[in-house]
Amino acid sequence: MIDIMFSSLWAMLSSPQTMGLMLIAVLLGLVVGVTPGIGGRLSIALAIPFVFGMQMIPGAVFLLTMHAVNGTSGQISSIMFGVPGDGDDAATTIDGYPMAKKGEAGRALGASITASGFGGIVGAIVFAIMIPILEPVVLAFSPAEFFLLALLGITFIAFVSGGNNIFRGLIVGFYGLILATVGTDPYTGTPRYAGDYLFLWDGLSLVTAVLALFAVPEMIALGVQGGSISAVSMETARFSYRQLFEGVMEVPRHWWLALRTSIIGAVIGMIPGLGSSAAAWFCYGHAVQTSKTPERFGKGAVEGVIAPETGSNAREGGALLPTLFFGVPASSGMAVLLGAFLILGIQPGPKMLTDQLPLVWTLIWALVVGNLIAITFLLFICRWAAMLTFVNGLMLVPFIVVVVAIGAYINEGQWENLVILVGLSAIGYGLLRAGWPRAPFVIGLVLGKIAEESLHKAMELWGMAFFLRPLSLMLIGLILATIAFAVYRNLYPSKAMQNLGFVP
Amino acid sequence: MQALAKYSNSAMTLVMLAVFVVMVAIASGYPGEARFMPFVIGIPAILLCFVQLFMDARERRKGVEDGEGNSDAQSRPMDAAIAQAALPLANEEQVSPEDKQRRELVLWGYFLGFIAGILLFGFWGAIPVFLVGFLRFQAKSSWTMSLALGLGVSIALFFVFERGLKVQLHRGFVVSYVMDLMER
Repeated sequence: MIDIMFSSLWAMLSSPQTMGLMLIAVLLGLVVGVTPGIGGRLSIALAIPFVFGMQMIPGAVFLLTMHAVNGTSGQISSIMFGVPGDGDDAATTIDGYPMAKKGEAGRALGASITASGFGGIVGAIVFAIMIPILEPVVLAFSPAEFFLLALLGITFIAFVSGGNNIFRGLIVGFYGLILATVGTDPYTGTPRYAGDYLFLWDGLSLVTAVLALFAVPEMIALGVQGGSISAVSMETARFSYRQLFEGVMEVPRHWWLALRTSIIGAVIGMIPGLGSSAAAWFCYGHAVQTSKTPERFGKGAVEGVIAPETGSNAREGGALLPTLFFGVPASSGMAVLLGAFLILGIQPGPKMLTDQLPLVWTLIWALVVGNLIAITFLLFICRWAAMLTFVNGLMLVPFIVVVVAIGAYINEGQWENLVILVGLSAIGYGLLRAGWPRAPFVIGLVLGKIAEESLHKAMELWGMAFFLRPLSLMLIGLILATIAFAVYRNLYPSKAMQNLGFVP
Repeated sequence: MQALAKYSNSAMTLVMLAVFVVMVAIASGYPGEARFMPFVIGIPAILLCFVQLFMDARERRKGVEDGEGNSDAQSRPMDAAIAQAALPLANEEQVSPEDKQRRELVLWGYFLGFIAGILLFGFWGAIPVFLVGFLRFQAKSSWTMSLALGLGVSIALFFVFERGLKVQLHRGFVVSYVMDLMER
């Protein structure tokens, strides 16, 4: 294990190609993170065409690094202008923006960037520590449990993303699952839903579907909204490098809080469905609850900046765990990343622990090194990176649409995918307009093949009795409990909130 | 418009219901093992759609009883993606629903036109026209900026994909036809 751990690090650091790609990924991730309208999962979907034909490890390192550092730069606009660039940055705004208004923008930025990088590194360490602990658990899972895990993943995502209505999320998740059955049936060779269209025999292109459900609707929404992220003049946010350094030193000064919130974030990341927003808000709440002076929060307390940033970035390390070992993406961003990994030839599952351990360690090191590079870059360029928030969203739309079209075509080299892109984009936009969640779709589509294969194997091994295995019963219980609570929450929203401790 | 918004959730549920019913119906013609998975997914999904239709009707009725007008749109949960899409733009322009609908149609027009352009004239024919056209007429950039950005990015992409990654993108049916004619 130790051998593999360090040989992976050395192999990564000594490869100019991998390190060069990592540098590009850091820069792109930071730029994308601060640019309005482009979220983490969208950036991965857009990057897929560029890793086409790459080898497994450099391609995976490129995508993971880009995904991991994406959130590090998102807080710049939250702090400097009070406008969160993403859902999880909203928690940082509560104390970050008041600090900027008091003339401490540099201190807030220094603390948030360092905290974010620190969280990312601790998240990777937590993931590494969990490997030997989880190994026997992962290897104990049979095909029956992998099928039920796929359903559990969809249920969790549907529960979290569907607001007070889990059924919409479940329907969208099942829509993804059923579209995954398009193509040749692996057992009988029957071309399902493909007819005479040969390009469909290999199944629906995952890249095309993801781009259609997320990228195109987001771009049309961005185009309809128009405007730029910031209405505030750049001159109003004061900044100095001395303050920035003071902010950096705030993280070692509050090392115990940073460590705790990083671990909390990493653990939240391991639970499918709980996104980075949940991690950020949970950690912010923890910082307030454990503070001796909670009245300072909301008025510019630096702990209120450190806690959400460490938590949301540490989550990425934790989220890799279910994604790589169980094939259940912890979030929609991880689902897109998992889809990209599949394209690169990485097969998630228990074999990652046995046959692909060097790759796992390379990914852990990519998180650590990527975050270190990102902190260094961002501390120097954060002042200028903030200018990107002034870009008019409408100017970005055509460039992203072009990359989307190339991405949809390039994966299989089939023009028919462009037609599918249009059809699925219409459904994606319909979902967006009607307020339905789209994240469960990606999870369903990614997990469809794994779920079908696992179900067939489980049926061959145990017949219908596979439901009665103890682990299977536990997973079924979790699925039913999640649905039951969601229905209860929908029928009696105020009671459910009170039971959870949220008293209005 | 209001009626459309009121029933938009149910419309989406009906679209999904139709998709699942058609897919299950088609699957019923497959051999046993091939139709197993579509049935395992499709049949519960159809039931879920009916539950959702019932809940949509319940929400509408509750909205009427509470006298809240269009409760469907108001009480609809915003999923994280929507919130994210709607979140960042503090400088968002105030647009009327009619104007919003017009913008949606225009943007869909650009998108469909671009895809049609790729199919007919290929990527390298459609990309510069789309970029320059969108930047000039939709984003209201100057001609100089539109031409510089549109053509510059098109050339950069050409070198990245055709030369760097050695990927030949779709040439377009019209272009291929004309080139075939010229070769003869």
